[in-house]
Amino acid sequence: MDTESIPKAQILNNDPHQGMGEALAALQRRQKLIHSAKVTGVWVALVVLLTIGLLMLHIQPSYMLQHYNIILQGAGATIGVSLASITLATILALFGAIARLSNNSVAQGIAGFYVSVVRGTPLLIQIYIIYLGLPQVGEQLNNLGYTQIGKLFILDAIPAGILALSLNYGAYMTEIFRAGLQSISHGQREAALAIGMTPWQVMQRIILPQAIRIILPDVGNQFIAMQKDSALVSVMGVWEITFLANRYARRDSKYLEMYLIAAAAYWIITIISSWFQSRLENRLSKAYER
Amino acid sequence: MKKLYASLGVIITTAFVLTACGSSPTAVADLLSTIQARGTLVISTDPAYPPQSALKANPQRTAGSKCTTDQKTLGELEGFDIDVATAIAKGIGVEACFITPDWTLITAGNWAGRWDISVGSMTITPERAKALYFAQPYYTTPAALFVNNSNTTYTQASDLSSKKIGVCGGCTYENFLNGSLVIPGEAINFVIKNANTKTYDTDSTALEDLSLGDGARLDAVLTAQPTGQEAIKNGKPLKQLGDPLYFEYLAPAIDRQSSLDAHTFIAKVSEIVAGLHKDGTLLQLSQKYYGADLTSAAATFDATQFGK
Repeated sequence: MDTESIPKAQILNNDPHQGMGEALAALQRRQKLIHSAKVTGVWVALVVLLTIGLLMLHIQPSYMLQHYNIILQGAGATIGVSLASITLATILALFGAIARLSNNSVAQGIAGFYVSVVRGTPLLIQIYIIYLGLPQVGEQLNNLGYTQIGKLFILDAIPAGILALSLNYGAYMTEIFRAGLQSISHGQREAALAIGMTPWQVMQRIILPQAIRIILPDVGNQFIAMQKDSALVSVMGVWEITFLANRYARRDSKYLEMYLIAAAAYWIITIISSWFQSRLENRLSKAYER
Repeated sequence: MKKLYASLGVIITTAFVLTACGSSPTAVADLLSTIQARGTLVISTDPAYPPQSALKANPQRTAGSKCTTDQKTLGELEGFDIDVATAIAKGIGVEACFITPDWTLITAGNWAGRWDISVGSMTITPERAKALYFAQPYYTTPAALFVNNSNTTYTQASDLSSKKIGVCGGCTYENFLNGSLVIPGEAINFVIKNANTKTYDTDSTALEDLSLGDGARLDAVLTAQPTGQEAIKNGKPLKQLGDPLYFEYLAPAIDRQSSLDAHTFIAKVSEIVAGLHKDGTLLQLSQKYYGADLTSAAATFDATQFGK
């Protein structure tokens, strides 16, 4: 046959290697599917086993079915407090990390001190100190005549909880951000400065966009941890999941029932946020895919 | 750089100035008139102690309530304390609003005006009276011992000497076991010697542990008689051992560190509670929640020394 009379598409179709490649790709797809089906199977089996195990405890499943919606009323507070706190903590951590990496001795000192004090004390103690101690500062200011500023220090339970969680996680995340910012090679910074960018522009245009990809998985981890640590703000009387579970447990002497519902609620919330986390990570890594 | 040092200097100087002249006397406003002007009485209660204070089975915020969003309404809580608190608010002529901080935050004092009064079955003790004022007590709580149902060896309180006894930490029960309990106007007989005290976050956790079996984690729990009876009513395998060991007087409490003058408020609350004793309201509530008269003894208690 004369090759010149054959359309180009047909030549491509006749490529003997193409079929092989397609078959290989299909095989790999199939294997991947089978693998994830197996993993899902293991999960389902474990959930069934766990449920059977729990049903053998002295619990009353009918009570759980009647009361799970009460716990869910606390989910709004748990998610709201966590979202607000992670946002504030991220801002704190960004400034904390920039300060730690700067050449300014005062900024470095303040940031280092903050991280050291906050990481070195338990969150529960910090919550008590903020709730009990801050209003006293406010009253001193009040006595001095600064009533408007004084009022700001007398925090209600939810703002006090958000403040405590943000301060606490801000300190841990300062270190995460610092590591992320340091991972961008020094040459890029020098090059950017050489073409006349200001240090802020370098941070904004060169360092941060790359560093975020490295920082984000850790921030996601912190967020998941925070959703569970937010249970500690129940001591100030915020009606979140743990508070409601605990108070209904005492009301009806149904401890295991209520705590199991609360555990399940936290688990589901963290599953949802991990899903968002992985989507966000995929999106940010698109530029690096080949 | 220079700017940063300058601002740091300003911050430090301000801090010094603030601490140096921290207490300048100013005219103090009256707490009672503040409450009347606000139209709400903010009451702290921990809804972890049925039948005194608990969440309602189906909490619904009272419609048209004047309470702020972080405060809870009568539609969300129930119990003996809640009813008494509501009656006190009614006596002042305002709406009752509730907030639910941890018990330790309530007893610590220094409320910073976040709530006006605790109506939370708080026992009058000399230590607490250092941080809080007490109004006329509204009832008494008998302290009783509870043991596991299956036990047959204990017949009286003194049998529990050197045994594992569960109590809530910082409660009067702990002080009873270590022999340091003082209740004004009451002689206490410390019949249990060398108890192996196990302190718990709250009594209900201790009762839960006692239910696991005789001696499994605990040999006995010392707690309020109504709390133990409530657990038995809820199906816990427990029984009361002997008669109550002592009685506590439970009263509304008000912050001593308040920036407002609380004295007219305390007098008003005492007057309202005395009125509730007199017209039988408290006795009726006591019968409703405890099936017994726990209030009459509190009517004759002289609380004036704790309001000063």
